Amino acid sequence: MLSLQHISKYYQNGGNKNFVINDISLDIDEGEFVSIMGPSGSGKSTLLNIIGMLDEPTDGYHYFVNEAVHQLKDKQRSALYKKYIGFVFQAYHLIDELTVYENIETPLIYQDFKGAERKAMVADMLDRFQIVGKKDLFPAQLSGGQQQLVGIARALIAKPKLLLADEPTGNLNSKQGEEIMELFRKLNKEDGVTIIQVTHSEKNAEYGSRIINLLDGRIESSKKF
Amino acid sequence: MIENYFKIAWRNIIRRRGYSVINIAGLSVGIAACLLIFVVIKYELSFDTFQPGYKNIYHLVTRINQSDDVTYNPGVVAPASEALRLDFPQAKVAALEANYGSQLSVPANNSNAGSDKKFTENLGVVFIEPQFFDIFKWTWLDGQPSVLNEPDMVVLDKSTATKYFGDWKNAMGKILKMDNLLTLKVAGIVDDAPNNSDFPLKIMVSYISWKEHPRDYNYVYNWHATNSAHEVYLQLPANTSISKMDVQLKSFSVKHFDNQNAIIRTLFLQPLAALHFDTRFSNTLGDHLTSMATLRTLSFIGLLIIIMAAINFINLSTAQSVGRSKEVGIRKVLGSNRSQLIIQVIGETTIIVGGAVILAVIIAKAALPYLINIANVPQDIGIFNLGCLLFLIGIAISVILLSGLYPALIISGFKPVLALKNKITAASVGGIPLRRTLVVAQFAISQLLIIGTIVAVNQMDYVNKADLGFNKDAILIIPGYTDSISLQKMNGFKQQLLQNSQVKAVSFISDPPSSENGWGTNFNFNNSIKDRDFTAFLKLADADYFKTFGLKFVAGKSYDVSDTMRQAVVNETMMHKLGVIHPQDMIGKTIRIGGLSWSTITGVVADFKTTSLREAIRPIIIFPRKTYEAEAAIKIQTHDLKGTVAAIQKLWEGTYPEYAYNAYFLDDTIAKFYQQENQLALVYKIFAGIAIFISCLGLYGLVSFMAVQRTKEVGIRKVLGASVSSIVYLFSKEFAILILISFVIAVPVAWYIMASWLRNFVYRIHLSPWVFISAIIISIVIAWLTVGYKAIKAALANPVKSLRSE
Repeated sequence: MLSLQHISKYYQNGGNKNFVINDISLDIDEGEFVSIMGPSGSGKSTLLNIIGMLDEPTDGYHYFVNEAVHQLKDKQRSALYKKYIGFVFQAYHLIDELTVYENIETPLIYQDFKGAERKAMVADMLDRFQIVGKKDLFPAQLSGGQQQLVGIARALIAKPKLLLADEPTGNLNSKQGEEIMELFRKLNKEDGVTIIQVTHSEKNAEYGSRIINLLDGRIESSKKF
Repeated sequence: MIENYFKIAWRNIIRRRGYSVINIAGLSVGIAACLLIFVVIKYELSFDTFQPGYKNIYHLVTRINQSDDVTYNPGVVAPASEALRLDFPQAKVAALEANYGSQLSVPANNSNAGSDKKFTENLGVVFIEPQFFDIFKWTWLDGQPSVLNEPDMVVLDKSTATKYFGDWKNAMGKILKMDNLLTLKVAGIVDDAPNNSDFPLKIMVSYISWKEHPRDYNYVYNWHATNSAHEVYLQLPANTSISKMDVQLKSFSVKHFDNQNAIIRTLFLQPLAALHFDTRFSNTLGDHLTSMATLRTLSFIGLLIIIMAAINFINLSTAQSVGRSKEVGIRKVLGSNRSQLIIQVIGETTIIVGGAVILAVIIAKAALPYLINIANVPQDIGIFNLGCLLFLIGIAISVILLSGLYPALIISGFKPVLALKNKITAASVGGIPLRRTLVVAQFAISQLLIIGTIVAVNQMDYVNKADLGFNKDAILIIPGYTDSISLQKMNGFKQQLLQNSQVKAVSFISDPPSSENGWGTNFNFNNSIKDRDFTAFLKLADADYFKTFGLKFVAGKSYDVSDTMRQAVVNETMMHKLGVIHPQDMIGKTIRIGGLSWSTITGVVADFKTTSLREAIRPIIIFPRKTYEAEAAIKIQTHDLKGTVAAIQKLWEGTYPEYAYNAYFLDDTIAKFYQQENQLALVYKIFAGIAIFISCLGLYGLVSFMAVQRTKEVGIRKVLGASVSSIVYLFSKEFAILILISFVIAVPVAWYIMASWLRNFVYRIHLSPWVFISAIIISIVIAWLTVGYKAIKAALANPVKSLRSE
């Protein structure tokens, strides 16, 4: 599904190059559930952002669903990720001024779905996550777990092929975290959504089908289950 | 999608209530101010444009070029119109003679009232040729222009006819007496001239009636006497070249004026389009002229105000954008592209600007009745018309673009990863230098207006308190008439007045020492038959003139009581211009004006201000000539002013039952010399107030924002031992520096503008450094009052609280 070849990201600091990502090559197939681990500053989030096209590598080749991402223009790239990728964040990143319903609806607006269609899709999603009763609340009125549920619902609304999650349970207690992980596993198994998550937790990482360990911008180890 | 944007925009506005109020308040006040300025300018620019021949109509005027100065006279000599018709057959020519303070009376047998109804008309009374209506379009309700070919015919406008006869439809054929000299028959009714006409003619008497009463109405048919009330208008064929025409008029002047006058006098054309704005000429028919400089000042002020309001907007939105970085980041991650974000921000701006425009219309509507205090606009001027609507739309669009586009570009340009990590700060927005620049611009504008206010107010104060060289207090002027019956009653009236113990002095005069009447003439001095090369200005009065107005003699004394000119008094300026050094040397010298006989100079009076303080003191000759001394000047004691004035009125009405009583106090008319300047001073005051208000709103918004941004910094500093005052200083220092920079920018501009304004006055204040120093002190005090509260509040905050949230 995606292939990174010799990807590097560094900052020029005088004569030195400070590498955040140092020559990483990585292939991920459709249907995989990958956990990326590593200590703080090892480049996990940067790698995830590069995969999600929010960040650009300094060097290297990046292919996604057979497109050479490194050759695409901004507009094409954004069209590409709009269509295929959903994001989930540690801090949920819901829009505070919008209700649960509107937050979930927003990606559809940017993908030019018609009003009636949007209504049906959001209703479907609210139903599936059992948050119909909360659709008119604002994010500040929800617990952390509920907010993250909304965040995932929003990430899935446009039926992405790839779900990127940056420490999705980082701000949650262990019970809420477990529920989210169960949800991810279900999405991966039943709906065939490819998932890449960054996590600090061994336990959460084990939900995945592959664990990649990063250290100082390099892949230290990679094991499949 | 649009609906979604507006929903978010609305929620953003509600959530950031404080900022929104500041934005909308500042903007709406600014737009309201601009709208009112627009209304005034639109009105002034519309003068006479409704005349269909507007572009081809010209006013013939006289330039008088003497050794020391050039003067302009709106009038031309009486024979000019006939000569023009002969020499320029392609032109339509019409002449009129304006009258001031004419009395019109409706004889009792005309109406049901017991006695004559008397009216005094200060403006709008003219002797006029019927050809005038070939040039200017007027709506005739009854009759036609040709009735003015007959003597003793009068055409009234609708409202005057209604005023005199109850209903204009009853007026035709009725009799009307003018100054108890002419008996006129109403032969036509025209519709009222619009407000924006420089020709608000009310009573139009046939021109030939003027010719038939040469003595009563000063009709002089020669090429010497330029009469400012005698105006000639021309309509030329559409493709006429005006420069060529002026060349032809030059030779026309040379051909008709005699030798001496041909050298100094030239006739030339003033286009009707320029008439309302040409302040070289006094306005003889309408109630006011407006200089283009005034209109430019007003537009400039309006532009400054709207710029300030827009600056607030930019400042506050870019400051706020930091707080919105997360939302922008999320939207970008969710697939929004840049143009969609730009549209969103512009949409929010549109809502705020739209709200401000609606509020501005309400403010402007409420302020409209007060507009007549600062501008010569009619009472019923409106703001609900197409022009104003287009103006508002234009303003709204430019403010939206001006103040929305920059924040939109900034906000939409955020990198999503940075935005989500909350790494967007005020510094990384790159807005800080920009915001500082904008605050400097705002303060420069406020200080410019503050300096303008101080200078204008000081100058007007100086003018109002200036020593005019005579006593203007408690002098009652009663305009009267010089027909033979009135003249006979003069002495008796004066004696009766003096019996009143409250009356200190009485003098019959042509005009007071300071007046806008300028009756100038050529003259001879010291038995020389050659004319002197400058114009002498005349004041005619009986011998009590000097006592009544408290004029001081530097040499000699008043002339003897006389009805005609045998002796005269001159002022110091006259003496200096004649090259005489010692006042004593003037006594006994002779002087002659026009074709009169030689008079002996009996005294020299200390200079007094002969006109407004805009102009230098004129060389003056004062002498008696009873037939021109129409006004009574009465100096009265100040206690029981009311009772004394009432007694004088009773006496006057008993003495002159056939005339209307129109007395006024001299100091009131002198104050009116400066109507335009006083209005301008008021405009400065108002707009400086608005500018200060808007910039303080902006400053308050910014400092609130800064306080929030620096909460953590303040907390850390306090934990490290900073005192409250050092933190207040931290906040104030930056603004003090910005104000200083803006001061440096504002001073030269303000100096340039105000120095050129002051040049309108011959007598003026100096631009002392104190004017500028007080401006900056005012700015700093006001800014500190705005900043101080927030700064102190931030400094007093408990650091534990502010640091815990991090």
